[in-house]
Amino acid sequence: MSELRSFDERYATALADPDVRAGLTAFQRGWRDSRDAAIADLEEQEGRSFDELRAELAAIKDGVRDDWQHHLDTFTANATAAGAEVVRVATPGEANALITERMQAAGADLMVKGKSMVSEEIGLNSHLEAAGITPVETDLGEWILQLAAETPSHLVMPAIHKRKEVIAALFERVLDRPFPPDDIDRMVKVARTELRERFLASSVGLSGANALIAEGGSILLVCNEGNNRMSVALPKLHVVTAGIEKVVPTYADAMKQVRLLGRSATGQPITVYTNFLTGPRPGQEQLIILLDNGRTAMAEDPDVAAALRCIRCGACADVCPPYGVVGGHAFGHVYTGAIGLVNTSFHHGIEAAAGPQSLCVSCGACATVCPVEIPLPVQILEVRENVARAGEAGTAGRVTRAALRAFQHPMLVDLGLRAVGVATTPLRRDGVTALPAALTSRGPLAERIGWRSPPAVPVRPARDTLRPGRLEEPPRLADQPLAGRKVQLFLQCVSDRMAPDIPIAAAKLLRAAGAQVTVPRDQHCCGLPAYDSGEQDAARSMVRQTMDTLADGADVVTPASSCLAMLGHDAPYLLRGDLDEVERAQELAGRTYDLISYLTRGPGRLPAGSLDDGDRTPVTVHRFCQASNTLGRKDAIEAFLRDVAGVPVVPLPEASECCGFGGSTSVRNPELASGILDRKLGCVDRTESSVLITDNPGCILHLRGGVHASGREVEVLHLAEYLVRRLPGATSTSQER
Amino acid sequence: MTSDLMRSERGHDVAQRELLRTKVEAAASTYHEVDGWEEVAGHAAAHGDRVAIAPSLHAARPALATSLQDRGCTVVVPGTDDPAADVADVPVAIVAGVMAVAETGSVLVAEHELRDRVVTMLCQRLLQVVAADDVVDRLEDAAAWLAPRGGQAGFASLMTGPSRTADIERSLTIGVQGPDEVDVLVLTGTDVATEETTA
Repeated sequence: MSELRSFDERYATALADPDVRAGLTAFQRGWRDSRDAAIADLEEQEGRSFDELRAELAAIKDGVRDDWQHHLDTFTANATAAGAEVVRVATPGEANALITERMQAAGADLMVKGKSMVSEEIGLNSHLEAAGITPVETDLGEWILQLAAETPSHLVMPAIHKRKEVIAALFERVLDRPFPPDDIDRMVKVARTELRERFLASSVGLSGANALIAEGGSILLVCNEGNNRMSVALPKLHVVTAGIEKVVPTYADAMKQVRLLGRSATGQPITVYTNFLTGPRPGQEQLIILLDNGRTAMAEDPDVAAALRCIRCGACADVCPPYGVVGGHAFGHVYTGAIGLVNTSFHHGIEAAAGPQSLCVSCGACATVCPVEIPLPVQILEVRENVARAGEAGTAGRVTRAALRAFQHPMLVDLGLRAVGVATTPLRRDGVTALPAALTSRGPLAERIGWRSPPAVPVRPARDTLRPGRLEEPPRLADQPLAGRKVQLFLQCVSDRMAPDIPIAAAKLLRAAGAQVTVPRDQHCCGLPAYDSGEQDAARSMVRQTMDTLADGADVVTPASSCLAMLGHDAPYLLRGDLDEVERAQELAGRTYDLISYLTRGPGRLPAGSLDDGDRTPVTVHRFCQASNTLGRKDAIEAFLRDVAGVPVVPLPEASECCGFGGSTSVRNPELASGILDRKLGCVDRTESSVLITDNPGCILHLRGGVHASGREVEVLHLAEYLVRRLPGATSTSQER
Repeated sequence: MTSDLMRSERGHDVAQRELLRTKVEAAASTYHEVDGWEEVAGHAAAHGDRVAIAPSLHAARPALATSLQDRGCTVVVPGTDDPAADVADVPVAIVAGVMAVAETGSVLVAEHELRDRVVTMLCQRLLQVVAADDVVDRLEDAAAWLAPRGGQAGFASLMTGPSRTADIERSLTIGVQGPDEVDVLVLTGTDVATEETTA
């Protein structure tokens, strides 16, 4: 089996094969449909929500860690009573040595393996091979990878990155007979005939464990193909490799895991074979190896301990937009998907965790489907901070820190961007900077920058236009829900400097509804970009500065939902070390709104039809991913547009999925961001709408750039920009450009 | 027991078995209610002329082998020397389940000895037979059966449908390394209950 290559190499390989992306996108879409249907059935069956069910399983797994030794001891005692030998090991080296030693003592030179991620974690196959022992993978996907000398790219569907044509060619080469790529059935059946002999010849079988049931000393082992049942029964020695976090107290607890595992993994209510093994069968020995390898350290770190709830269903990868572009060989290490971005640093070291970190777009989708409610997006940012610390001395680390240090000085940012604005004036069109074709269509930079036109940088930021008295009085709405109410507008650093029309439109809209809009002068940045870059100290200092700026107790409204994600959700967590600051952050969070929530749930509720100007041109809506996934917003914008603006809304497929902007991701990994953007714009094409509305400025600049560079005829607008056009007496185009 | 209560219990049993049927069929198995073991033998004989019986079932119901032989079938009961070779790719096999779980359409099969276990692994078509009284509602009922048996060597498997994979492009293929076809046979006849009470 091949050793893992460097991250850069894995990333480049993944990008080089467009088939990988097409296959993964189809896989993710198919999984989503099956999983959602299966979970909806479960909710109906149980009369409880997914959130209640997963909280229950999460509590079971957390409860185990409160008394971990006791549960492990109980498991060991019961398994031993049933005739098993249970050995706890600290490191992969110990596990490999023990298995090799036992096999050599038994004179065995062949091992049939069922799927076991722990055996991947410890690199068992290469150790066995070095000792002259042949491991044979018996799960179809794992077997395909073994023939191809690759590692799994997914926790449940190990070979999902391979197209059927590639697998057919592989079988033809290895088995020396023809395999038509469309005859998947035939490829599947070949495993049965090829592997049957190995099962019968092997004296040692290996399996993982989906759970270790303490009350009975039983192994829960699930599979669909039936291979595992053979590899644990036929050989004279059955070796089990399992992480110590797999222990659950009772059989009833295991059943709760079963209910969520199959549905989350493959959309099945239960796997075909859900096996409970207690001790060896008569005439057999059973060796159960319980591996720590960083798990105790994880449990001791409150920031990541909850990751030990993981039941390895792979759902976090199945909804992950970057995973859908590059697959698990780049997005992860041995463990793939979002969970791999967290646990890799504990099982395989911080260096192994560093590369894939930069691929996460922080969209939060993983947390919405995790059946044990692991706060993966927050944990990933914790690991990212450790990665950033470990990389401080490197060039990239120094550049990032220098840039963030500069960014913390509003004056510097102000002068710098005004200068850029002046310099790029000749290139400004349609809200973007149109780069010369010589730069974007060929040459070394083309692939990195050609797919997205950069935003236009205006000479005048929004804060200038919004100075008292500068903005002409907008028309007033008939209803004035905000009459006499003071609203502090938080501009957002990005829109202020790169999309000033957005905060200006928001100010007009709020004034039209009667608000007295103020723009606190010293506002700068909420700290989100620093937090996303793993620079938590810088993020904290920016949050504090923002809290100082907005200390006046009036409502705060921002046209940028990402700032709300920061100020309303992340800030109290980020400041958790100081209770006074947490209280301040919570107080601010309680009176901070993004525009849509202010207009729908907050004080600015507008009556139905109040922004209906009679225009019925259909629009579509991209739901900012963090608003959906982190803030729990559903169809608020669509409903508002329909009810208050009277406009038909065409549903956007995969509306909540990230557009690929992902903060710094699109700067550091443009190839990845352009892949995610392609998927998003493909969905927009399917709506046939000429207007795309959303409410996060970062997404808007990114989408506009992509639309412009690809020559599409779609207008990308912030909700506020769209709505001001519908104010009584408004002209349909912006005045402030 | 009042007649009302009996009626409501019967109502529950019927609804429970209807749910079981739905779930069994959703898992790509077939569902049948049969009167007794004679009918099981008939069902087996209709699908092949070599029929494997798990040794534990053979010991408990020797008459089953006779019924099969009467129908012209060769009966295979795996031995201890090389049980896997005895039953490899046998067209039909019969196994008795401990219970059937309506929630998932699963049959809980508890067999420990290799020669029992190979029967369900290596056959092409598997008949899972369970008494109507042993149909339960929930997975927790299976947990309640397992719990008192903890700490004692044993193997139990909730089997739900024929073996399957979607490892290649997520394309579902039924019949991989285990049985290609599974029939769940629920014994509803009165003779079943009589047999059990006299056993």
